[in-house]
Formats: sequence, C-alpha cells, structure tokens
Amino acid sequence: MSVTPTTDAAARDSRAGNGAADGTGGTVGTVGTVGTAGSSGGGAPFVTTVATPTLRAFLRRSSFWVIAAGCVMVIAIVTALVSGASNAAGRALAGDNPAPAGSMALVEVLRQQGVTVTLAGSLAEVRSAVGANSTVLLYDENSYLDGDQLAELADLAARTVVVAPDFLALQALAPTVGFGGVSDASSISAGCSLPAADRAEELLPGGDTLSIPLGGDPLVTGCFATSTDTFSLVQVENATTGRLVSLVPDARVFNNENVTGYGNAALTLGLLGDSDSLVWYLPTLADLPRTGPPSLAELTPGWVTPVAVLLLLVAVAAAFWRGRRFGPLVAENLPVTVKASETMEGRARLYARSNARLRALDALRIGAVQRLARAVGVGRLAQLEEVIGSVAQITGSAPNEVRRVLVDAIPHSDAQLMALSDALQALEQATGRAVMAGIVPAAAAAASASREFSPPPAERMDP
Amino acid sequence: MTFSGRFVLFAALGVVPIVVFGPNALAATGVLLIWLVFVLVLGGLDLALAASPRAVTVERMLPARVRLGESITSELYLTNTGRRRLVGVVRDAWQPSAGAGRNRSRVAIPPGERRLVSLTLTPFRRGERRVEQVTVRTRGPLGLWNRQATLNAPGRIRVLPPFHARRHLPSRIARLKELDGRTSVMVRGPGTEFDSLREYVRGDDVRSIDWRATARRNDVMVRTWRPERDRRVVILLDTGRTSAARVNNEPRLDTAFEAALLLAALTSVAGDRVDFLAFDRRVRGRLQGASGAGLLSQMVDSMAMIDPELIEMDWAAVPGQLRSITSQHALVVVLTSIDAAGASTGLLSVLPQLTKRHTVVVASVLDPATVLAAATRGGRDEIYRAAAAERALLDVARVSAAIRQLGADVVTASPAQLPPALADRYIALKAAGRL
Repeated sequence: MSVTPTTDAAARDSRAGNGAADGTGGTVGTVGTVGTAGSSGGGAPFVTTVATPTLRAFLRRSSFWVIAAGCVMVIAIVTALVSGASNAAGRALAGDNPAPAGSMALVEVLRQQGVTVTLAGSLAEVRSAVGANSTVLLYDENSYLDGDQLAELADLAARTVVVAPDFLALQALAPTVGFGGVSDASSISAGCSLPAADRAEELLPGGDTLSIPLGGDPLVTGCFATSTDTFSLVQVENATTGRLVSLVPDARVFNNENVTGYGNAALTLGLLGDSDSLVWYLPTLADLPRTGPPSLAELTPGWVTPVAVLLLLVAVAAAFWRGRRFGPLVAENLPVTVKASETMEGRARLYARSNARLRALDALRIGAVQRLARAVGVGRLAQLEEVIGSVAQITGSAPNEVRRVLVDAIPHSDAQLMALSDALQALEQATGRAVMAGIVPAAAAAASASREFSPPPAERMDP
Repeated sequence: MTFSGRFVLFAALGVVPIVVFGPNALAATGVLLIWLVFVLVLGGLDLALAASPRAVTVERMLPARVRLGESITSELYLTNTGRRRLVGVVRDAWQPSAGAGRNRSRVAIPPGERRLVSLTLTPFRRGERRVEQVTVRTRGPLGLWNRQATLNAPGRIRVLPPFHARRHLPSRIARLKELDGRTSVMVRGPGTEFDSLREYVRGDDVRSIDWRATARRNDVMVRTWRPERDRRVVILLDTGRTSAARVNNEPRLDTAFEAALLLAALTSVAGDRVDFLAFDRRVRGRLQGASGAGLLSQMVDSMAMIDPELIEMDWAAVPGQLRSITSQHALVVVLTSIDAAGASTGLLSVLPQLTKRHTVVVASVLDPATVLAAATRGGRDEIYRAAAAERALLDVARVSAAIRQLGADVVTASPAQLPPALADRYIALKAAGRL
C-alpha cells in the first residue's frame, strides 16, 4: 500500500497560500466541493471539529476524580501519621522516643535541669561527645559491643551507668558481679549509703537483679537488696582510676511508663544528673566490627545509581513513545467465519470415535452403488441386484465377489474397513475403464444417452 | 502530547555527563537532576513551539462506490489555519477492512496553505467501510515532543460485490441470441411467441410451414418463432444463518450474489423483468421494477449492505412476500442451501405453494471440499471423513430428489460453477418456453 502524501498540486497550494490572507474560505473554493464537507463554494469558512479534548476541558471533566484522589491521599497520610504516633513502640529507652518504652521524659527533665544530653548511636560519637566530667548511659539491648569496646567505654567517662548489663558487660566492667535472677520481693528499699539510692528510698519491684559475692569487695556497693546477696543497683569503683560504674539490671526504671513511680525518678536523676554533661548511648549496627570483603556498593563508582535511575526514566519514556496510540482505535464488526464442512468433519470424528465401521462403509457403499448404476446405465430406480449383475457382467468378475464388496462383507477391524474401501474404489475404477473401453456398447450408449439428456456438470450432485 | 524516539535517545545521552562530571554519588545525582530539568525544559520548549494540530481543517474527497478487490484513492485535503508551519504525521483512521495499509503520511504545511494526502484503499470486505476521524501529530522544531489531536472527518465508501461471474456473461448472451429464430427446435413449443413469416429455405423444419400463408403468397412460407419476452423472474435470496457458512473461503451469500447478478444481467438482456428479494425473517434487500443499465447498479448497491443474519430463515413468510411482488406466473429462483433433510423442512413445506403458481428453481452451493473428501481414502481417518462426506452428499441428493418431486428444479454446483450453471438453467427453461 503506497501512501503518497502529494504536494504536487503546487499551483493550487500556492494559490491557497496567497489566499490565506482573505481567510481559508477562499482556499476551499479553489479545489471544489468536498463530499463530506457540506460547504461547497467558498462562502463560510470550513470548520473541522476536534474530538480530542483540550487539557483544560480534560481537567474540568476529570476534576471530580482528581479531587477525590487528592482527598484519599490526604486521608491516608493523616491516618498514617496519627496511628503511627500512637502505635509505634520505637526504640526502647531512646532519648527521643515519647512512647511508653522510650526515655524522652527523663532526657527532657535532665535538659531542663541544665544537663547537656547528647544522644549517641556509636562508640565514635561517644568518644567525640564525652568530656572529662561526663556521665555515660549505656543500654546495649542487642549486645552489639564486644569486651574491648566495653572496656574502652568504661575508661572514657568518670561515671558510667550501664542499664541491664549482659554477661559480656559484667565481664568487662565488673567481673565479680553476677546475675541474681528476677526478684519476687513486693517492695525494695535502698538500704545503702549511695546518695542517689538513699534519696530514692524505694524502687520498682519485680525486675532483674545482680548478685555480689558475700563479704566481698569493698569497691562494690549493692543497693536495693532483694535478698541477702542480690541487688537492683550495684556500683563498682575502679581501684586505679576511681571511675564509677553503676549497674542497673532493670531497664524499666528508665522508661517513660515507669520513671514516675516509686523512687525511680529520684534514682535515675541522681545517677545521671551528677555531672553537667550526659552521653545517652544506645549502641547500633555501626558499632559492629566490619569483616569480609567490601560490598558491591562500595566497589561501584558513585555514578552507577544515578545512571540506573536515568535509564529507568528513559525506559519509561520509551514505553510512552512506543505505547502512545496514534488516535483512538477504530471498531469494526467482523463477520462470523464458519466453514460449511464443519458438520461433515464433526460427523467423521463421531464415526471415528465410536468405531462405526459398518455405518461408515454403508455410506460409502450407497454412494458407490449410485455411481455404478449411473456408469453402467441401469437407471436411478434400478434394484440393487440389477446393478450387481450389470457390474459383474461388465467387469467380468464374479457376481458373488461384487456382491460381497457392495453388500455382504462386514468389517470387523479398521484394516478390513480400509481393504473394503479400497475394493469399492477399485470396482468403480474397473467399471469406469470397462465402460470407456466400450466392452459393452449398450451400457456405453445408455450412459452417453443419459449424458445427452441432462448434462450433469462435474460437481453436480443430483443422482 | 507524545514523545518521539529522538527524545528518548536524547534523554539517554544524559549518561555521558553523569559519568564524566559525577565522580561521586552526590555529584552524579546533581548532574542527573540538572540533566532531567534540561531535558524537560527542552521538551517543553519544543512542545510550545510545535504547530497546533487543532488548527487543521480537513476535507475529504471519496468516490461513493468501489467493487470489492479494486482500489480507489481517498483524498484528504489538510489546511493549516494556524500561524506556524506544521510538520508532522497524519493518520486517516479507516476501518481495518478498508485496506488502507499502515496509513501514516508525513506532511509539511506552511501556515494558511493546504496539502493533499492521498491514500490508496483496497477494501477486502463487502459492505460500507467508514472513517470517522483523522489524527494529526505535529512535531516541534527539535522533534522531541509532539502534539496530537484527533479531528472529526467522517467519510464512507460502499464496497460492492465483485461480480466475478460477469466473465460468463458474453457466452451466455451469445447463446441467448441463438434462441432467436431457432425455428427448428422452437416449433410450437409451449409459450413461444409467433414472430414473423419468411420464405422457406432448405433445412427448415417442414412442420413449421404455414400453409395458409403459402397459399396466399404462392411461395412456401415458414413461421419463425422467437423466445418469449417480458416474463417475470424473481430472485429470492436466503440471508439466514446457513448463508454465513463459508465454502472455498467465501460465504454462501456472496456466491449467491454472484449467481443472482449474472442471472439478472442475462435476464435484462433477454427482455424479462427481474425482481430481487433478500429475506430471512424480514426483508433485507428488495429491488422491483428496475430495468436496463440501472438494474445491475441498483442491485449491487442493495446487495452491498446485506450480511448474513444468524437467524433461521422464515420460509412460511416466503409465499406472502412473493405475492406482494407479483401475482402473475414467474420464474422464482431460490438461492439457499440444501443440507440435511431436517434443515430443509421449511423449504420443502412451502415449495408446493410456490410450484402451484410459479416455475421454481432452487439453487445451492455445493462444497467442493466434500466431493474431494468423498474420494480421498488414505488412512483410517480419511475413510471416516469420506464416509461422512458421502453421507452429506447423499443427504443433498435426497433433499434434491424431494424438491424435484415437489415440482421444482434444482441446481447445485461449486461456488465458481454455480452462477453459470444457474444461467444455463435459465436459458434452458427459456428455450423450453417454461417461463
């Protein structure tokens, strides 16, 4: 199909160009009337209506959906924010976490009291934030720190408060202190000389405890005894450096939910507010030592991600380029397509599926008998015996054999069916040859006579 | 709005500055953002500078008709009424079967001027082919972003039946002419008309000597006869569900059209009157009282819009329809399909009413595939196919015999052979004076 945009009507076009100043109406007239235009003659300017809506019309028409989508988005965002604030647990004992498990209350009170609180996420940050007279709070919930890091931490600050120390922390900071299990005491009171504990008087019962060997170390002080050798607060003084390490096994004492109960606030404020600088240290993954080969992200150059983003955008643009339709689809009603031979094919499959050999062969036989009758010229209404006799006489074969092929034989297998079908065809061909050769002139004459009377075309099927 | 391939390629070129100027991730991201803004600004600028496709007026010039299989040229005049030079692509949204091909034409129209876009259409389906819209896509000076709009520009062409059978017409007209003055055969045939007297020449049938005229003229005179004229022929087309079936990848209905057209052409040459009726449960097409040159074109025109309906033919209404066309004796040619006896009950039940009044010929397409299948006996499956085909042929033969018994005539042939076979039957009937 050759689509030929022609600009060969140069004269017409140039005239059209000249006439453009007077309006397009004149240019229409130069070509003549147009079937669909309806505006023959050059009077009124021809107007083609545009099916595509303008951007403004499109927005106006779809404004409801745009606004609806916007509303849904706003509602979704607001819902997420509201539910997120009320539900999210956040990190336990995080200084900026207002949830029940967080410790924002404690941190804010300390700040109001003039303590400089620094929230640290890694040992490096602690190192840079800590001063000579600082307190460090350590809550290593997931045991990120190893022994060396813990030892270094204890050496950094004058006072270190370790919340819920794990085995490694005890090993590194206070090797003599062990775990004391969960206390079942209903109330625990200070009972020691530490001023912070003394002021607190009472502590939240039912938490973890630590044990101190009996008659032990004078450098180790246990407070809030729950039994003879288990305590809810243990303070260890380093013999050489004089640095203090306070161990509080029960983390609940520090969180927003429980800090106001019993003497919790007094204890925690006393432990943490001693100095005017506090480092609130919750170790993160950044504290884990890095091992193994460098990751893929470290090996790739910096421009890889931007290039990937660009190529993604280019792919989207390419999809839009190829996918944008050139105008709307054109609908067309299509005709049904049914082959006339469908019923024949269906019947053939039915025969085959049910192995209807005799029925199939009989259909072939009836057709063959009719053709044979026509060939030997015995007429349409001849009896079967007449046809058999004539065919046997013309072909010179035994009437019994002809009769067997045409009537008697019953196929018991597909092989027999095929043999009989072949025999039928052979009989028809033999008869045809015999008639053609003029062995029986009478039959040939009869056949030719019948042909003369009603010439049947090759495809005619009127027997 | 659309993008062009050039824009996509241009956007992809941003990889180069990102790699060159972006040694680390932050710089690369910055370069990426700058590049994206640059590309978008350039595209927007291009879009803003493109000519408006809405400022195009479209006019169409179309021939009203085309024969199936022939080509026509559709002319589309595009006038740029905007102020910018319009460069772009035009798509004329023809229905697929109008045969418009890929149908994308590049145009460049200066402001205020007009260009012709011609498109060759080769419809491959009969009926009315429509076009409703023209889509214009204009590109900006850089060819990055395009503007696109669809304009309403309706048009339609009527695709007529091809009438391939007209190649049989000259030979049949010649045979019709031979009927004129064929005294030897036509003598006193019922329904033949007396034409004139002429002198006896050797070879004339002595039985046609007019002794009274011979006595008057003192010369041996013979009567000559001519075929009867001004008879009525009614062609009845069955447009019911069976006409939708395809034989040789052609619906039965289209074959029937060919046969009807050839018969109508022949009939109008022979001086008979043709009426045409396409019917299933209601009248789909009807042509009465046309003659001469207008007959065929009117007939073809009405046929173009007829499609097979997937409903059963209402044979009981056929006698009434025929009565409304003619009250005289007529040759009624019924173009339908002869299938199994069960499917032909309707036809067989009304045939006595028709044959009582009219001479009836029932014409039907015979599937050559069936005849071929009946003779193919390769393997097991083919034998069963042959048996089924033989069975189908026997059914046709039985129905044909029943139709003959009811006094009608039957013509069955393959799609290519049916029109001439029907024409031959008409000539034979005319020669026999049975019209």
